[in-house]
Amino acid sequence: MDKRLEKALEFSKYMTTLNNQRRLLHEKYLENTVHYINGGKFSVTKELMNFVNLLVQHKQETAILLDDNNTPIEIEELETFLTELMDIYFNNTNDYYNSYDDIKTKRSVERLLDV
Amino acid sequence: MTKGVLLFASNNPQVDYIKQAIYCAKRIKQFLNLPVAIATPNGDYLTNQFPFYKSYIDKIINIEATNSNQVRRFRDGVYSEKRLEWNNLSRADCYELTPFDQTIVMDTDYLICNSHLKTVFNTKEHIMLYKDYIDVGYNRTNTGLDMVSDKSIPMYWATVFYFDKSPMSQMFFNLVKHIKENWNFYRLTYQISQGNYRNDFAFSIAIHIINGFEKREWPKTLPGKMYLTVDYDVLYEAYDNTFKFLIDNTMSGNYSAASIKDCNIHIMNKFSLGRHIDREFENE
Repeated sequence: MDKRLEKALEFSKYMTTLNNQRRLLHEKYLENTVHYINGGKFSVTKELMNFVNLLVQHKQETAILLDDNNTPIEIEELETFLTELMDIYFNNTNDYYNSYDDIKTKRSVERLLDV
Repeated sequence: MTKGVLLFASNNPQVDYIKQAIYCAKRIKQFLNLPVAIATPNGDYLTNQFPFYKSYIDKIINIEATNSNQVRRFRDGVYSEKRLEWNNLSRADCYELTPFDQTIVMDTDYLICNSHLKTVFNTKEHIMLYKDYIDVGYNRTNTGLDMVSDKSIPMYWATVFYFDKSPMSQMFFNLVKHIKENWNFYRLTYQISQGNYRNDFAFSIAIHIINGFEKREWPKTLPGKMYLTVDYDVLYEAYDNTFKFLIDNTMSGNYSAASIKDCNIHIMNKFSLGRHIDREFENE
């Protein structure tokens, strides 16, 4: 086989693994960036944090929010809830950033799997 | 309210589901810290062969050995396959068998790697399970795991599910039993070509019936996500909650590598899982 083609095909294997590992990292990030509270499931998004922050700014202490399954869930202390959401969001986003950054430096299939 | 995990294990001549169950229970203890019960016709084998089981399994429920008369293909990667007996008929009895008020049932080849599932006990739902899954394989579209059959209904997974002791749950499992007893009728109605009874299919059909033969949002999905590898894939290394696989993306022997960490995973290649467990049990 032409050396140039051989090299490109070998690199394509690496790219497949790289893209797959990135996808799996993202799935893990989405899985972990969730707040389970009072039997409800809230994916922690910028939109949710903004909305809860708005309620807190308007001096609201409790609220009924629809969770990911459209189940109404009572949140008794909105300010605490907002703090928890932000903790979950930033902890997981930082972890995701570190792993994503780490994976960029790995130049072999074998090392990609250690992230 | 008592809470716990119920496992089912029925050995065939080549796959040691009891060994898998003890390893599964070990991980349940580590990440969920819940009592574990095992329903099995192989209780003597369990106690004699694995004397350390008491560290991980809290209760043995002896069930009668049934001859399912079912044979299916078990692969160990793309190059090795065996046709073996498949005993999977007890799952529908979980409502009567469970010693817990709130129960998670899981396959013994489902490995717990985080504590997400523990939050299920706070729910007001009576039954929860997964419909969606994350394939560790890359862009693999030909696994046939999304639908019960090409033109019928979406597949729900009986691999791991939650239920409570409510009339709703009882009705659901009674319906699953009815489907099991009339499997040929239901499999033909839902255009399932394979003759073997499969819990995933029976659960999916029961959900479709209870939903008034429509696609609805019941039942809700379990906390966390279910990752899976198929039996064409090979688990080749595991450490520190990291699992490394050879993944057959095209299911034709064209392998690439993938790994996951801290994610609950359903490993369908029982043989490579068995080899991993043997290494893990060396120090027990």
